[in-house]
Parts: sequence; C-alpha cells; structure tokens
Amino acid sequence: MIATITKSIRVAAILSMVGVMYSHAEPRHDFYVCVNVASRGSVMGTKLANLSGLYRATDRTTPVHVGFNHIRLETVAAEPMDPKQLYASALNGVLRTQDGGISWRIMTGWEMTESKDIAVDSNAPGHVYACLPDGLAVSRDRGWTWKRSDEGIKRKYCQSVVVDRKQAGRLVIGTEKGIYLSEDAANTWRCVQPTEATVYDVRQSPHAASVWFAVTQSDGAFRSSDGGRVWTRVASLTKDRTLHNLDFDANDARKVLVCGWGLGVRLSEDGGETWIERTPGLPRSEVWRVAFDPDFPGRIYASVYQSPVFVSDDLGKSWRALWFESAVVHDFVFIRRS
Amino acid sequence: MHLHRLALNSLAWALLAVGAGAQPSFTEPIAPKVSPVSSSVRPAAYQKRVKEVLDWRAALVKPEDPKSGGLAEVAAQLALRRDAEWCSRKVTELMKEPGGDMFWMFPVTCIAYLGRDQLSEEAKAAIREAWRTYMPMRGDTENHWAMYYTSLYLMAQLWPGEAGGRWFSGKTSEENLRESREYLLHWMDLTTTVGQGEYDCTHYIGEYAIPMLYLSAWADDPAMRIRGRMMLDWILADYAADSLNGLYVGAHARTNEAQLFEKWNGLSSFFGWLLFGNCPPPAGYGGWGVYFAAAASHYEMPEVIYRIATDRASSYTEIERKRTRHRWRNSDVRNAPVYKTTHITADYAIGSDQGGLLQPIQQHSWDVTWAVPDPRGVHNTLFSAHAYHSAFEMQMYFNDLPDYMPEAVTFQGKPTYNKEDRFLGGSPHEQIFQKEDALICLYDIPQGTRFGHVNGFFSKDLSRLEEDASGWIFAEGGNAWIAYRPLSPYEWKSIKGGGRRLFSPHLKNGAVVQVASRREFPSWEAFKQRIRELPLEIALEPRPRVRFTGLRGKTIECTYGESPKVDGRTVDFEKEWKLFDSPYLQAEKGGRKLVLMHERLERVLDFNTLQITDRVRE
Repeated sequence: MIATITKSIRVAAILSMVGVMYSHAEPRHDFYVCVNVASRGSVMGTKLANLSGLYRATDRTTPVHVGFNHIRLETVAAEPMDPKQLYASALNGVLRTQDGGISWRIMTGWEMTESKDIAVDSNAPGHVYACLPDGLAVSRDRGWTWKRSDEGIKRKYCQSVVVDRKQAGRLVIGTEKGIYLSEDAANTWRCVQPTEATVYDVRQSPHAASVWFAVTQSDGAFRSSDGGRVWTRVASLTKDRTLHNLDFDANDARKVLVCGWGLGVRLSEDGGETWIERTPGLPRSEVWRVAFDPDFPGRIYASVYQSPVFVSDDLGKSWRALWFESAVVHDFVFIRRS
Repeated sequence: MHLHRLALNSLAWALLAVGAGAQPSFTEPIAPKVSPVSSSVRPAAYQKRVKEVLDWRAALVKPEDPKSGGLAEVAAQLALRRDAEWCSRKVTELMKEPGGDMFWMFPVTCIAYLGRDQLSEEAKAAIREAWRTYMPMRGDTENHWAMYYTSLYLMAQLWPGEAGGRWFSGKTSEENLRESREYLLHWMDLTTTVGQGEYDCTHYIGEYAIPMLYLSAWADDPAMRIRGRMMLDWILADYAADSLNGLYVGAHARTNEAQLFEKWNGLSSFFGWLLFGNCPPPAGYGGWGVYFAAAASHYEMPEVIYRIATDRASSYTEIERKRTRHRWRNSDVRNAPVYKTTHITADYAIGSDQGGLLQPIQQHSWDVTWAVPDPRGVHNTLFSAHAYHSAFEMQMYFNDLPDYMPEAVTFQGKPTYNKEDRFLGGSPHEQIFQKEDALICLYDIPQGTRFGHVNGFFSKDLSRLEEDASGWIFAEGGNAWIAYRPLSPYEWKSIKGGGRRLFSPHLKNGAVVQVASRREFPSWEAFKQRIRELPLEIALEPRPRVRFTGLRGKTIECTYGESPKVDGRTVDFEKEWKLFDSPYLQAEKGGRKLVLMHERLERVLDFNTLQITDRVRE
C-alpha cells in the first residue's frame, strides 16, 4: 500500500514536472510510437546510437522501447481480443509478437519487403492485411502464411489499409493511383476514387462507421459518407501540399486532425468542413504525423520532421516538446488494453 | 529511403591510408606493364597481393591501444592465422555492440568461418548471441539483400537445428537457410536471365563479389557452392569486359562523386589490382577489400577472365542488357530493361545506356575514358548530364514520403543531389544512343523543370581543348582525341577540384561525340579536319534531332522520343540487345548461360546444369 502511494506520488511528480495534464483515470489504451530517432545522416549500415522502432508509453510519461532497434517500423496493429499479439509493418517485412513485444518473429519471407501498413480484421481474428510497395498481402492464419491479393489494382504500390470495423472482409486501401474497396476480403478490388499520386492515409470514423476520410499527395483530401463507396473531395483542404495523415477524435465526432509537409497541423471542429491552423508553436510546418489521444480529451500529438515529438493539451493552441530530441514518427497507435 | 554507408567511406579510407602502415601498391610507382602475365606466375602474384592487403590491415592493430582494431582487423588476423587470443578478446568485445545491418553481417560471417578453429568458445558464443539479440536491417536494394541472405545462409548452416528463439528473425535455422537459399536462387535467376539490377557498379561490385566468394568458399551444399563460384565469375567477367586498365568504364547503375571524375578511385579498382594486376589499388584497398582478401585463397581467377580484362590489342564493342532497380511508383514496369553499349580500345573507352531514370541518385549514363599511365589523381573522363533531381525520381525507387527525400539525400553522402552543378545521376529527359565510338545524347527538358540546363564535364587533365569555329569542341586526353559537338549555346564555368563545366542553359539540347585514337591520324589538324567533314545535321525544333555519319562510316539518326536509326534501319533494342554480346562474352536473354571467350580459351557458366566447362581450342 505504501509502495503504491509512493509510486503514485512519484508519477504525479514526474507528470507535473513534464507538464502533462494528470488524470487519475488509468488510460484505456497503450500508446505506441513507431519512430526513427536516428540522425538524418543515417543510412543503411549506420551503427545506431539511439534506439528506434517501437516505444510503448503506457502511462503517457515514459516511453519504453519495445523489441528490436529498427529505424523503419511503420506501424503496429493488434489482434482484437489480445493486445499482446501485435503485428508490425517494418522494413524487414511483417513482424509479430505474441507476448507484448518480448519476442518477435519475421512472419513474411524474402519476397515481401518494406511493409507500409497493417490491419487486423476485428470481426475475423487472425485475418491480417499488409500493405507492400508492390501490392497487398493477406494472411488468414495470424501471419503464418501470406498470399498476395491485389488483382484489379492498377498500380500495386499500397500505402494504407483499414478494415471496416462493422463488417468482416470489407477493406479500403490507399494506393499510388487511388482509393480501392474490397468487400470480399481482398479477393476482388474496385477503384472507388482515382488519384494522381499516392493516397497516404485512410481512416474510418470511430463514431459513424459510414464516414471515412483519406488524404493524398497531390489531390488533397477525400471524404466518404457511405462506407467508402463514393468519395468527395474536401474543398477546404489544399491540393498543393502533401497530406501525410489524419485522425478522428474518439471523444468528439466533429473533430478531425490533418497534417502534411509544409501544411503543418490543421484541426477541424465541424467534421472536415472548415479547418483551423494549429501549427503555431511547432518549430516548423513539415509535420509527419498527428494523433488525438483517445484517453485524454483535448490532447493531441504531432511529429515534426527531425524535431521532438510535440504534445498539446488544448487541441493545438499551445505545444510543448515531449519526447526525443530529433525524431520522425511513422505512426502513433493506441491499442485498447482489453 | 535508405542509402548506405559505403559511399561515405572514401574519405575515411583515404585518411586511414595516410595514417596507417605501408600500402606499397597504393603509394608506390606503377610497375612496368607486363601483359599477359604468364599463368605460371599469376597465382603467386595474386597471393602476394592478397597478403599485402591482409598485412596492412592486421598492422592497424596497436598492441598498446586496447581500443584499436575492429571487425576488419580481426578478419585480417584470422586470415593470416595470427594472434587468435587477441581476435577472441576483440570479437567478444565487439559483439556486445553490434550494428551496421548487412554491413555488419558479412564481416561477422567472415570472422565466424575463419575463426572456426581459432576463436575461443567465449568469442564464438558472443557471435552466436549477437545473432539472437541484434536484428539487422534486411535493406531495400539488391546489394543489401545479397549480403543479408548470403550471411544468413552461411550462419544458419553454421548453427543448424536451432529453434526460432535463438535467432533475431524468430525463425529456425532451417527456415532461415531455406529463405536465404530461395532469395539467392531468385536473384541469380534474375541476373542470368534479364540482367543485374545494380549493374556495373564501381563500388557496389564488392557487395556482390564478396558474398559470392563466401558462398563459393563456405557453402556446404555443393550446388550453392558452385552457384556462388559461377556468379562470382559472372560478375568479374562483366567487369573485366567493361574495364580499361582496371578502370570500370561507361555507364553504371551506381557510382559516386569521387569516382565519377577520378575513374580509378574506387572499390572496383581494388578488384582490378587484386585479380588482374593492371591498376593500383585505392586507398585502404577500398575499405571492404579486406573481406574479399580474407577469403581470397578460395578463388582462382580463370585465365579467360584475366585475359579479357588485360588484352586491349584489338578494339571491341560490347552490348549488354541489364534491368532497373525495383520501381515501386511512377512506372508501369517493375524492372525496365537497360540497354548498354561499351566500346573499348587500347587508348580509350566510350560507354552508355539509353538514358532515362534507370536508377536513383547515382546513375551514370555515359562517358569517355582515356587510358593513362598512372590513373591516381587523374580525371581521365568526359561526359555530360542533365542536373536532374526530383521527388518523382525518389518515389519511383523508394517508398518514403515524397517531399523530404530530395533534401534528405544530401545529408546521406550524396551532397550534390539537388545542386545545379551536379554531374551524377540520370534524367527522364535524356536519350542516348551509341554506335561503336560515336555517341549522340539528346535532351528535351520540359519548361518548369527545376534545373533546365546540361552540364558537360571537361577535365583538368585534358591536354588540349579547342573550340572550333565549326561548332565542334576538340579535346585530347592521353592518346584519345575527342570531338564534342554541343547542340545549343554554352558557357564555361569552373569546377571545384579542377576542370571546366560546359553549362548550356537550353531545354532543347544535346551533344554529338566522336572519339578516335591519335594513331589513326597523321596530325591533330588532320583529325579536326576529318571531323569537320563528317556529315552532320542538327535540328532542335520541335524536338532535338541529329543525323550524323561517324568516323566508322555508320550513319546514326536520333530524334528525341523515337527509336534511333543506323544506316536507315530502326534499332529494335528489345530484339537486338542480348544479355552479353561481344567477342568476349555471349549470353542470350533468358539463357542462364554465359560463354566467356578469349582467343583459344573458352569457359561456359551454365546455371541450367550447374556446370562450369573449360575448353581450349586446338
């Protein structure tokens, strides 16, 4: 009991010191940061002084490195019923841990490289979809075996994949030349929104499952209100900048974040109709990644190119540096603990 | 986007070379040329050179400094079978902090095999543990994968029957071995059917030659052993036929800023020195050279390759088919074909690809190289390039976010990538065709392209450079007489490090190049007059177009965006370009077979039957 109280005081003190809003409520999600903290001059073969790869910040104060030092770990996804079973998209392929990151196995072989994104079907446990630079790979057995399933996709480069949380086997992917939809577990695909260049992120609203958003390199952003069948360009977002990612606020259906290269951070409080500039306070407008924290309303994170990870507790009105000296965050991921 | 550290090391090796012990072949005057060296003495000369490398590297260990020495010094010491105790201590220490991905894997593989009967059990255990705890990057290109999978194959073979928990990959020894074997066979099959992706690289040749040497030396499976041996012969024969006095000439998938100008100054020349004895080695033996030397006793250079490399009594043209690196975006073709032509004489070489974006960042599309008595410090080359860079190019070959990549490259050992005075790299707005020693390059650069000019490299080591009223520029390098006819106006700018840059700020552009030997003409004036008389038609609108009849009597007609014509016949690259086609090397596309020939000697590398056949014609 005494130990617990002491620990609690210590945590509160640390939180206070770093300026993090303290909440007695235990976060419902583990916060994972997929990050490259190597210097910008690092190249393949550079001996890395700092640990890159996956960090877990369970208490939002101390990120703990998990697994191997890997400068290109793009994202992670968990099996729906077991947050310790994680899949990681990485330069070395798809990696899996079944013990929360203590031990890992590269699940793919030589023929699948540089996985960009990964998604697990929450209605079909063990069904995993991985984006590759040359197509989409599917596993129906928790990653043990994989097959390519990208028939009908014109240019195979695949950047982003989301499985519809309401319907097993229904997927939307972002590719080099558009947004594609499959309603039969990736067996067949149809292009639902052509684009000139890469679709960098696709998201489904955590509130209305029919609402989807996508951001692109040169076509701006698109929104769908019918489950990803029909997409409409978001006129209020520029086509002149590469948009890197977006996020829905789990606590407020109207709030959406977007970031990009030269765009900085933009917040919408009306479901994407209008956007508020949230870059001031960040060191530069080249923003790699943004995310809402589902457990702390009003808190958002931003990865600014070759800068620390920044956090804001007032939806981007003010920012402060949080972790790492110089980082490129490939993804912020929140995984529900149970 | 992942470049790698090899290219960063030239300066480091040079500094190391200055501060270290003797490298006689690097520092001393070149011995008088003896060619061919008798086959009865060549093996001993080869072993002497191998020992020179190993002795130098081993001598970098300073007994009084416990921090001195690294993996390379351990490999050298083990290869020389010296001081196993120091090697064991050092290995145990170094394995505590592994790092360097596949560039760590192959040195450690080398040490593990050389140290099987020399290293202590503690050192061996340290190596074993590192392969469990440290996950190297597999990399993102062909040379990375060759190193990664060769190393993994050999280490899985060394430690059979182990569970996944004993490996960084989480896979069992048998799974690692199988996956590695599958990749290596896949790569060999691609290379022997449609060509290498990272073809004719002046530095990266080492990253193929060294892994293949290790397979040929240490693979237990006789099939893999002979495959390694055959691939090593294949790579070295490719280099031999594209070399002039050990200098890798013509078009390269990848070269670097230093070797672009000083053609000798790179790892390829280490192989020229070690295997052919026909050029000095670069500083520090090219850095990675020690890892070839450490296992070099397992390789005997076939005489036919040696003779292909060293015999320049007759001029010849070599046609080669290669392929691009994997294209992820901005292309409908995963591996587009590359069509190379290289013409080599005793005095000069001229080589090219067809232009376009065939490789990212470090492509070199054409050049003239002239022979020099001593290549050290000499910029014995002439070429032109469009100073192109773009996120479009980067996205084609890398899968990172687009906007940061062009700038990021400049921090990763490629400082000139986005500079206007850049000479290295391909351009989507360049088209090249060569017939024997005449070459036409055309540029049709769209309005709005960041740099809309052409850079021509005119070396500090040209002994003559004259701008003729006819529009031709006449140059002399060694015994090569070069005629260069720019298609558009230009001005001269100086180049840091010497020489002049032909700067031509016109979107419709190009050049006609004709090279000859001074031996062909009674005088310099006669050469110039002969060039002036050659039929030449130039048009720039609507697209650059040249019709030129060269010194050898062939009429070449090139129009930007169209297939070239020779004597009125349209060139069909797809039909006409074999994998190799020259008096020395013959291989059909899809054939998995290379025939090497020199006078009466013939060697056949047949991957269909895993057979090496040597024949001497009576």
